[in-house]
Amino acid sequence: MNQTRPGPVQYALLALLAAAFLYPIWWAVSSSLKPAAEIITNPLAPGPVTLDNYRAMFADVPIGTGFANTALVLVVKGAMTMFFCPLAGYAFAKYAFPGKNLLFGIVLLTLMLPTLVLIIPLLLEMSALGWVNTYQALILPGSIDAFSIFWMRQTIAAIPDELIDAGRVDGASEFGVFARVVLPVIRPGLAALAVLTTMNIYNDFVWPVVAVNDTSHQTLQVVLSTLAQNVTGNRIGADFATVWGELLAAGSIAMLPLLVIFVLLQRHFINGILAGSVKG
Amino acid sequence: MSALTTTARSGRAAGARPRSRRGTRLSPYLFVAPFFLVFAAFGIYPLVFALQLSFTRWHGAGAATWVGVGNYVYLLTSPEFWASLGNSAVMWLLIVPIQIVAGLAGAVLLANAKLRLRGLFRVAFLAPFVTPLVAMAQVWIVVFDQDYGLVNHLLNLVGLPDVGWLTSTAWSKPTLALLFLWKTTGFAIIILLAGLQAVPAAVYEAAAIDGASRRRQFWSLTVPLVRRSMAFLVVVQTLAVFQMFAEPFVVTEGGPYGSTTTAGLYLYDHITASDLGTGAANSFLLVLLVFGLSLGAVRLLRPKDEVS
Repeated sequence: MNQTRPGPVQYALLALLAAAFLYPIWWAVSSSLKPAAEIITNPLAPGPVTLDNYRAMFADVPIGTGFANTALVLVVKGAMTMFFCPLAGYAFAKYAFPGKNLLFGIVLLTLMLPTLVLIIPLLLEMSALGWVNTYQALILPGSIDAFSIFWMRQTIAAIPDELIDAGRVDGASEFGVFARVVLPVIRPGLAALAVLTTMNIYNDFVWPVVAVNDTSHQTLQVVLSTLAQNVTGNRIGADFATVWGELLAAGSIAMLPLLVIFVLLQRHFINGILAGSVKG
Repeated sequence: MSALTTTARSGRAAGARPRSRRGTRLSPYLFVAPFFLVFAAFGIYPLVFALQLSFTRWHGAGAATWVGVGNYVYLLTSPEFWASLGNSAVMWLLIVPIQIVAGLAGAVLLANAKLRLRGLFRVAFLAPFVTPLVAMAQVWIVVFDQDYGLVNHLLNLVGLPDVGWLTSTAWSKPTLALLFLWKTTGFAIIILLAGLQAVPAAVYEAAAIDGASRRRQFWSLTVPLVRRSMAFLVVVQTLAVFQMFAEPFVVTEGGPYGSTTTAGLYLYDHITASDLGTGAANSFLLVLLVFGLSLGAVRLLRPKDEVS
């Protein structure tokens, strides 16, 4: 926009804003690394570095199970999204077939469906199927989502038809064209989809907390929320400082994987976030 | 997949399709089928079931009793239902206007073409957006604790008394709204920045040559041109605020005195109470409300005349 060189005021404002966004994360991580008692007595300055909070947390909290369950859901559900959504997007972008507009209309309509409306009936369906506290309950609902199909359709529509026809002439099957021509061309879009899908599945909370109530199937976020409820409800006999130390240690370690992915793959992240805004 | 298309192809050997397109008839249906299977099983079926359920009284076991529109009447005359909508409405007021203004300010600061370190600022602004909400909700519990929290520690340092951030009905909503704002304003900045950057620099140069002041340029060029991004944000955040669940669930459990029982959390309360018919009816009322609000927002923010 305006082409004048930004002044010190502009940099100061940006730095202030950046500090406001980063400080809570920094505070949580640095507090988790100091002796538990000092989180309360000396909340501002960083204290001597210790891993005591992490040791206590690993001993008391089933966070390893949480990580393992989240990883399993992430891999299976993520793979389903990454395979079936571009496939459906390809059909909507490059084929003419009877009923296409109607079917795509349904996809668009489900975009507007708030997740909350499905929570209760889905829970009942899971219980009728005997699927409460199972991995398939965590994985299947929402595993092929309308938004990703819509996004992949936009991405694939930009591929020239000649490229696809050339693949057909070479004798590739319909699926072969998708796998060997379409997928390689849309690699940047797939990277963005992968990063965004990872974030969404990793952070998902509402459905997992409803669908699962035993410790062995809890995802990471559900493990964290159980820990928080112990604190707010004062249901832990231990002293305040110890519990806070464990809480901050668990929160920090849960943030770490996504923050690392974000910093390393920020370009794909931002592309993914912006892909959502074009639907408006 | 290809085996299936081959079968289809030979089955329709005499088809009228041109040779180069043979086999294409069935493949698009096969390609979109997985989505529709999953959607039918975990979308349409539960929706239809929920609609039916919303007209019954059922507590998860035994026979459901048909109560007609009883659940809807009960909710629409229940002070608790309206209180949950009221709580969400207050949250909306505390979040959406502030986020639009702050988001626009941040985006304008970042949009300057000669800005150094833009990538670094962008990472800082978006970091909260990628952190797990539940983890940060835990941090909020600790930081805003009335007795030992960081914020009251700071207030005491400058001689101010403790504030019950999460334990008083006056402060519980703003404290949760702050969590939402902290988490998602970076997202708003990035969306609005993309809107701003879509405005060609030449438009500003022309305006500057015409003698339009910086302030004038902002109001008569920038704002109308980012209207579309703003409309998108308002719709997305309205949906998010009225479905807000994890923040009050983890941080306040809806308290104190129900002051943070948002529409989303109230819905969940029906599950814990096993009052499933009422819960289903509540879901549909909420969907109607959210649809209405988004439509209203889109209409209100639609550009007066489309600027290409």
